[in-house]
Amino acid sequence: MIGRALTLLLSVGFLASLGAWLPQAVAVRLPGQHTGYEPVQPIAFSHRLHAGELSIRCTYCHWAAERSRHAGIPAASICMNCHRTVQVTMAGLRAEVEAAEREGRDTQPVSSPELQKLYASLGLGEGLEPDPALTPAPVPWIQVHALGDYVYFDHRAHVGVGVRCQTCHGPVETMERVRQVGTLSMGWCVNCHRDATEQGIDGRQVHASLDCSTCHR
Amino acid sequence: MEHDRRTYWRSPEALDGPAAEPAHPLHTPERFANRRDFLKAAGFTIAGAAVSSCSRAPEQRAMPFVEQPDDLVPGRSYYQTSVCGGCSAGCGVLVQTRDGRPLKLEGNPGHPLSRGGLCAVGQAATLGLYDAQRLTAPRMDGDTSTWAAVDQAILAEMAAIRADGGAVRVLTGTLVSPSLLDVVRRFVATFSDAVHLQWDPLPGSATLEAHLRTHGVRAQPRLRLERADVIAAFDADFLGTWQSPVQFAAGYRDGRTLDAAPRRFSHHVQVESRLSLTGARADRRIRLAPHAVTTLLHAVASRLGELAGGETVLPPPDMDAGIEAAAADLADRLWGARGRSVVLCGTNDEHAQTVVNYANHLLGAYDGVLDLAAPSRQVQGDDGAVDRLLEEVAQGHVAALIVAGVNPVHQHHRGAELARALSRVPLTISLAPRLNETAAATRFVCPDAHPLEAWGDAEPVAGILSIQQPAIHPLGDTRPAIETFSVWAGEGAAAQDLVRAYWETAVFPRQSDHDEFLGLWTAALRDGVVAVSHEIVPPSPFDSAAVRAPAVEAPPAGHFSLVLYPKVAMLDGSHAYNAWLHELPDPVSKVVWDNYASLSLAAARSLNVATGDMVRIEADGVEAIELPVFVQPGQDDSIVAVALGYGSVLSARFADLGPRWIGSRVERRASDLVGVNAAPFRPAGSGSTSRVVRVAPTGTRQKLASTQDHFRLEETGSVRQAMEDLPPLIHETTLAALDAGGDRGDADHGGHGTGHAEPGLWPDDHAHTGHRWGMVIDLASCTGCSACVIACQVENNTPVVGRDEVSRSREMHWLRLDRYYTGSDDAVEMAVQPMLCQHCGNAPCETVCPVVATVHSSDGLNVQVYNRCVGTRFCENNCPYKVRRFNWFEYAREQPIENLALNPDVTVRSRGVMEKCSFCMHRIQETELEAKRQGVPLADGLVQTACQQSCPSRAIRFGDLNDPDSAVSVAMADPRRYHVLETLNVRPAVGYLTSVRNREEL
Repeated sequence: MIGRALTLLLSVGFLASLGAWLPQAVAVRLPGQHTGYEPVQPIAFSHRLHAGELSIRCTYCHWAAERSRHAGIPAASICMNCHRTVQVTMAGLRAEVEAAEREGRDTQPVSSPELQKLYASLGLGEGLEPDPALTPAPVPWIQVHALGDYVYFDHRAHVGVGVRCQTCHGPVETMERVRQVGTLSMGWCVNCHRDATEQGIDGRQVHASLDCSTCHR
Repeated sequence: MEHDRRTYWRSPEALDGPAAEPAHPLHTPERFANRRDFLKAAGFTIAGAAVSSCSRAPEQRAMPFVEQPDDLVPGRSYYQTSVCGGCSAGCGVLVQTRDGRPLKLEGNPGHPLSRGGLCAVGQAATLGLYDAQRLTAPRMDGDTSTWAAVDQAILAEMAAIRADGGAVRVLTGTLVSPSLLDVVRRFVATFSDAVHLQWDPLPGSATLEAHLRTHGVRAQPRLRLERADVIAAFDADFLGTWQSPVQFAAGYRDGRTLDAAPRRFSHHVQVESRLSLTGARADRRIRLAPHAVTTLLHAVASRLGELAGGETVLPPPDMDAGIEAAAADLADRLWGARGRSVVLCGTNDEHAQTVVNYANHLLGAYDGVLDLAAPSRQVQGDDGAVDRLLEEVAQGHVAALIVAGVNPVHQHHRGAELARALSRVPLTISLAPRLNETAAATRFVCPDAHPLEAWGDAEPVAGILSIQQPAIHPLGDTRPAIETFSVWAGEGAAAQDLVRAYWETAVFPRQSDHDEFLGLWTAALRDGVVAVSHEIVPPSPFDSAAVRAPAVEAPPAGHFSLVLYPKVAMLDGSHAYNAWLHELPDPVSKVVWDNYASLSLAAARSLNVATGDMVRIEADGVEAIELPVFVQPGQDDSIVAVALGYGSVLSARFADLGPRWIGSRVERRASDLVGVNAAPFRPAGSGSTSRVVRVAPTGTRQKLASTQDHFRLEETGSVRQAMEDLPPLIHETTLAALDAGGDRGDADHGGHGTGHAEPGLWPDDHAHTGHRWGMVIDLASCTGCSACVIACQVENNTPVVGRDEVSRSREMHWLRLDRYYTGSDDAVEMAVQPMLCQHCGNAPCETVCPVVATVHSSDGLNVQVYNRCVGTRFCENNCPYKVRRFNWFEYAREQPIENLALNPDVTVRSRGVMEKCSFCMHRIQETELEAKRQGVPLADGLVQTACQQSCPSRAIRFGDLNDPDSAVSVAMADPRRYHVLETLNVRPAVGYLTSVRNREEL
């Protein structure tokens, strides 16, 4: 009797855990193969707008890619190079101008709600003046492309020989939100290394090592 | 048919009725769940857990800077100059900082004293920075407090002392920082009766006092061993622990260069009672009892007096024929090289030191080898300081006592007395960064910052100054000592301002290179060192009347002389919190995690004890201590040697150290401390140098963890007999043989060249078209100081395993120092051979790996791929050099802050994975990629391995063997070059240069 009750109880528990898991079932991928991973970022930053429409070079923001193993997530201060002046999209600006005309008033300064988050992270308040009530805190971006801890990838080595960013990261300039495109698996890396050594990059001969120690150490 | 009605029983209890029958173990009456239910529950739980854990890897955050700092590239290392704060030697360092974290200290090649070297203790300093048990806030009356509260309370009491003229005593070690010394002086000047006392836990004031007597200046001359052709050292372990070993090793090496033209090779005679690292390196080693060492010193000086002619200053001592002959021989040799010879003595006896000064005066050492005009400031202490302090406290004179930088309760022989005396002083303050014995006995603890967190400076030798720059914001709420004294002096300036102000007012006027202060300051920060003029106190002419014959006294029969010595890793014990240093095998004994009573073979036999047997060491007036015996060849029979610095409360944290797994527990001892404190046995006063003790076995045993027999390369038993004609594992020769033969002078050894002509088992499939990395270790330079072992451990995230695991031969060091003895016990010699992965061209480990986790790379490295390794350990078994290490456990890294010391360039290996030396391939890659990025060729010498960088005697050369002009290729072509186990034809990429001793016969 006790045994049957237990079976029932455990089955209920199992179904409950299954139910708890189902919503995230769509996100299940094998480790290292998270293609299509597209997390919602704390700021709705659009690569399509910046890298695509405005044609800003990738390395303007990810400047460390040329000089270090890490491409780096740009510091908020780098965004401010433009966004100290550019505080809203063209459409937003037009809407405000039209609204002002309609209401017969002077235009007001407007800024995008997403940019407000950036300004808050820098501790800037009204008129982009430092607000003592705000503590500067980094924007907690979510990492999309993650390699195993035993893999040592070096951006500098790849960018330096002319590998395009899109080769690994996909057409980021078309993405509203960054999505993982490559599998980032070892075979994926090795194939590219083999092809690059055989075919060169942009007609230039390169030596992409196939030694284990190139990535593992 | 009628049934059988008999009852069958199996146990007498069954006869008492069915209820009493013992139940079958698998049929116990049901209470809640039977076996089936248990399995069911377990199955469901596992299935549920498996389902709910099927999701993507946890979300990772990528946190950028808010404000991008100028000139900081994420993931790139930066180097800044600073000063090592490990001891008072003041070596110049480069601090490697990456993404805001200081990761490693390296020697500053531009520093004229340490010249790019850094010892094991200095290398281990980063672990001290990230030490989770460092004090993070000041303490008042046993409780954590705040700086405001502590300062308020202390300043109020100080104001009262100033008002009624009470006595204030400041006790520090040697202050090698001139700006700190200046602030302490200013602080002291605010009281009517305040004295700054300097006291060194490793005593050395006899040299200072002797120079006061003979030359009229209380100073320690700067020792320039690079100028010496004959060195006679009496109980001075100058390559291991004496004063400034890195500086001395660099100088010593420059005096012994075989590759320079003209060739120079000094002759070094070591006279000592215990086998020290320096004695092991010496060309000639004379083993004598401590009193006989002094007699020989006396006899040499007398003989030199005779040779010099003139009046008899020092009549010869009573001595036996052996010492007389040795003295005559030694004196002749020194005299023959006068002007370029020196006598060194580590005995802290003023009379003996006057004799040393007399000998050096006769030899003309003060004109070159010893520089009294620009003296060393590394040892300034006064041995009697604590004794006088105790007297004053006993008389009730002292109103306030401030202790900084030293731990006299643990380190002084009257430490226990001092701890009691502290309770009689109204205001007691310690500036210790950890709660050590002295800090525990004081009312206030005002933790000093780590040297990597604070501004400071150092002037180890008059006129050579360095700035200590902080590399990280203080991790806890600590305050540099210089700021603390400044606050109490009523100034309250920041450390940077204090140092800068001192340099502007006191250092800037001493130079003429820079017209503006900023120029000097910038140059000092950039180069790590500036040379300025200094005040010269002219020594008066040598006063031979001050020379006193030292008293010698042999221990009575049945007694031993107790020789207390510092170990290479532990020194005075102030770093007893450092696990790296505890696990560093002592270069001579190879024992880790303990101190012990060293006895010679004959002495151990006479006491009928062996290694691991406990003995009781007793002396009058001191509480007896019990220590395990370690039988040490090459030691004098009349002594028992015990290392200082152990038994510190700072080591209590290691009581449980070691991996924990099912059914196993770390073996606990009666005491949680590592080793036993021998400081109470220190001889009182500076007249006597060793103490007479009784040694008796207690009949118990205590396991000593020693690596001396681990990873042996030599063959044993029948294999050895069959292979009798094999060359020895280590090659030694003499300068005479080298001159005669022009080769390594090793007659036993056949076959020179690269060994590549011999046919091998393996196909020649390693093309090595680009670089081919190789290393050559010059055993004529290597002293065995073990700096490389710690450098490798810091660089490569090598875990600490603890005493129990080391005793199971599971230490993880990638680089070990193989130590070999030769000769009989009365004339034993020691040789050291660093052993690391040889990166064989035909690597036996590669052929046996079933998963191809260890392979040969195109640039000549034997690489280990951790993520592919499944831990069969076949490779370890097949490695003839025994350099592979297996991770038996996930070695605990429980304190998250301590993980900040990990090098992000090197994988942290997990359980079940084999690992070994990688030739620092992350350094190779970083240098290669940077050269490629900048479009410049990879110049020879740019890639430096961690072991090579740290080496104080520059014994290691590393580079590209495919480049015929590289330093390593040149060294590979040296006739002294040999490979270990060359007969195996595994074609190692590591070569060794035969060790050379400057004498006639081996």
